Amino acid sequence: MRKALTISFLAIALFMIASPASAQGSGMSDKAVAYIAAAFGMAIASAICGLAQAKATAAACEGMARNPGASDAIRFALILGLALIESLALYTLVIVFVKVG
Amino acid sequence: MPPEHELWFTKILNDVLGGAANSLLETLHIHAENAARPIPNYVAQEILVALIIVVTFSVLRSMLSMDKPGALQHFFEIFHDFTKGQAEEQAGHHGHAFVPMVMTIGIFILLCNLIGLIPSFEAPTQNIQVTLGCAFIAFLYYNLQGVKAMGLAKYLWHFTGPVWWLAPLMLPIELFSHIARNMSLSVRLYANMFAGEQVFLVFLHLVPVGIPVIFLGLHLFVAFLQTYIFMLMTLIYLGGAAHHEEHAEEEAHTP
Repeated sequence: MRKALTISFLAIALFMIASPASAQGSGMSDKAVAYIAAAFGMAIASAICGLAQAKATAAACEGMARNPGASDAIRFALILGLALIESLALYTLVIVFVKVG
Repeated sequence: MPPEHELWFTKILNDVLGGAANSLLETLHIHAENAARPIPNYVAQEILVALIIVVTFSVLRSMLSMDKPGALQHFFEIFHDFTKGQAEEQAGHHGHAFVPMVMTIGIFILLCNLIGLIPSFEAPTQNIQVTLGCAFIAFLYYNLQGVKAMGLAKYLWHFTGPVWWLAPLMLPIELFSHIARNMSLSVRLYANMFAGEQVFLVFLHLVPVGIPVIFLGLHLFVAFLQTYIFMLMTLIYLGGAAHHEEHAEEEAHTP
């Protein structure tokens, strides 16, 4: 909880530092904002995808360790889950390519 | 957009069939982007994959044998058994009826993905048009199978959810999620293939020799995995759409 609060305060501070740039009007063009936003968007998507896949892999490893007989079924569920989670990060990549070209 | 580099097979097709392709497009009132070379790369590669499949299966059919199956027959037997197992797991007892279509889609997408690894060819699934086409075929197929299994009225009725008073909420959600299935199937395949190629090109730009081979290996693995995922998702949607009247059968079977 405390960590989440710290991170959200840091994010708010970052936005407040960035706002004078938009107040100027001649600071950043639309294209520049698109590039920065694309990079941040892709980074956030990949990070959360990494977290989710780590959780899935950890659960699969533990399941296989506890019950080696069910290895095949667990492996199938693991591969299916990883591919579906991966596809969410890839949707973000497609948006990046569409917006940034 | 820089002009697309034309592959050798596309060049042959454009030289031979350019006029015919233009007249076909004119009858449909579509104007090709580049009238001199109307067939784009991905269409040419798709045609090549279709030709390879037709030739392979013609040769295979003449070589089929029960006593001494060759390597090609073994490979397709394994593929068929695997698909049939998955179909029966996902779509119930009647799953075996879906195997031909799903296996055709699977072989087509697998060959389309793999042909991207060969130097002077390009994977047609790197373009959203091709993957959207495949996803749309799968969408049409599972809806048609659902209507065939349950009748049109009952099939539309099962979009309304478990209880009747949730219907105004469930119906738009279900309709939208079914349309989103198209998008997810197509974009998943397209993004995997396209991103694999882009990452390979970036590393080729950085380190000309050695390291990019790792990304070719990754592309190979992802080609197989994405084909499997596409087939599996199609089978899952088929299972969800085509509930036969299994309840009476199950009650008759249990002692």
